[in-house]
Amino acid sequence: MASPASLSLAGRFGGRRRRVPRRGSGTTIAAIAVLAAIVLLCAIGPLFAADPGALDNANRFAGPSAANWFGTDQLGRDLFARMVAGGRISLGIAAGATVVSMLLGALWGFTAALARGIFDELLMRLADVTMAIPQLLFALVFVAAFGATTAGLALIIGVLLTPVTARMIRSAVLTELQSDYTQAAVAYGASRWRLVLREILPNVSAPLGVQASINAANAIILEAALSFVGLGVQPPDASWGTLLQQGYQKIYQSTSGVIIPALAIFLTIWMLNLLADQLGGTDDVRGRTG
Amino acid sequence: MSEPETTPLVVASGLRKTFRLGARETLVALDDVSLEIRRGETFGLVGESGSGKSTVSRALLGLLPLDAGSVQFDGLEVTRLKGGELRRLRKRMQMVFQDPFAALNRRQSVAQIVAAPLEAHGIGDRASRAARVEEMLDLVGLGPAYRERRPREMSGGQCQRVAIARALALDPELVVLDESVSALDVSIQAQVLNLLGELQQRLGLTYLFISHDLAVVRYMASTVAVMQRGSIVERGSREQLFRSAQHEYTRQLMSAIPAVDPTAERARRRAARTEAGVSSGG
Repeated sequence: MASPASLSLAGRFGGRRRRVPRRGSGTTIAAIAVLAAIVLLCAIGPLFAADPGALDNANRFAGPSAANWFGTDQLGRDLFARMVAGGRISLGIAAGATVVSMLLGALWGFTAALARGIFDELLMRLADVTMAIPQLLFALVFVAAFGATTAGLALIIGVLLTPVTARMIRSAVLTELQSDYTQAAVAYGASRWRLVLREILPNVSAPLGVQASINAANAIILEAALSFVGLGVQPPDASWGTLLQQGYQKIYQSTSGVIIPALAIFLTIWMLNLLADQLGGTDDVRGRTG
Repeated sequence: MSEPETTPLVVASGLRKTFRLGARETLVALDDVSLEIRRGETFGLVGESGSGKSTVSRALLGLLPLDAGSVQFDGLEVTRLKGGELRRLRKRMQMVFQDPFAALNRRQSVAQIVAAPLEAHGIGDRASRAARVEEMLDLVGLGPAYRERRPREMSGGQCQRVAIARALALDPELVVLDESVSALDVSIQAQVLNLLGELQQRLGLTYLFISHDLAVVRYMASTVAVMQRGSIVERGSREQLFRSAQHEYTRQLMSAIPAVDPTAERARRRAARTEAGVSSGG
């Protein structure tokens, strides 16, 4: 079909193009591996970690040792066990909030993009208004109104992340709606539902993935911030944010109480952002050879 | 199929469409366009980009709301149909786009792409649809090995064949080919054009063939209309039009047809120009 010259040219271009995602995919795998390790540690940690609530008055502010990997806090509780228990809460809230924000955001964004006109305008101005108010302020109001249970926090944070998500999804859907393949689907007589579920949704999965990991990172930050100011997870439960705050109060007795929760939050968010970056970057190479 | 006394398959009259570009600016995309497409013929529509060719095609298929005008497809008023009725009519008219990569859903396999119109209209069960996909791929010269390929794993010509297979899966009467070979290499263009001609013979299809490339239109179309700035400036049979173009714009388009042998072509064109100067025909 093609001459040998153009074949080899296509091959060279194809090779160069393919290397971009391949270089990125190492980072993607690393990010996923670190995140998986964190989740796994939180999942199976309680099997071998000490009881996070067990007090040991003789062993307060102990440094890292074989028995207490991360040392102990002001009540002699094992910090590793507390980090594992706190991670379950932090990551659980982040996961819940991500699911809530993606579902609501998709509903909101798809509706706006498909409705067009005045309804679209209304939905997007509503998003603008909610985005204009600081998230933390919004969170304070919600927490005051509904209380700070773990499930409640996931829901509140999820709702807070929804407007940004909706806005992003709307623009992604609008782009796809203008593409030839959706035009083709309309031309062959696809119904609106078919258009959305079979044609558009699979094609916006990459931006959706990016937004999901950004949302997860933001949810961890928001939860940590709320817990740090005492409005998030309440004692005796402790999220990473609560641990950070408690460690911060005793910073002169033990620095590990601050450093370890902060590192855990930092590492998780870094990996989520890295993942978002990679997912966003590789899909732009929309395989076009020939 | 193409007896002259049968009613035309498509009758469009007085099509008018204005696009709003800004608060004050408007673009008249269609200005009183009328045309008739007879059954079994290839109706060529030529003009430079922006002349309104694609707008015409979208109007005929009911993909674009018009400001004024009527489009009759086999006696049915397309502009008045809505929802389910319009979707059912779309079974009978299909479209093949310019960019073969953009027109195919990059997340779907060839089999899924070709079966999609059948699914959308609830035609057949899984097995019969699979058989139909196989039949269609065979028709456009792609073996069953292509079933599981994705658009990005194929060449432009192969993608366009898939798009043609998808368009023909519903057994349409009218196929709109909107610059369908313009994005392809010249050698692949010829292959696809020959395939289209062959399919027309076998299936008795009617084509609306849109292109900016007069050479290609000359090869395909039996009737040709020339568009400029939203209006049809000249129309006629292929022979008539290519032998004695009346309109200045048509002549300009024709002189833009690239030649295989530039030196010979230059000589030919010089001769044609002097001839045209003498007798405005020839």
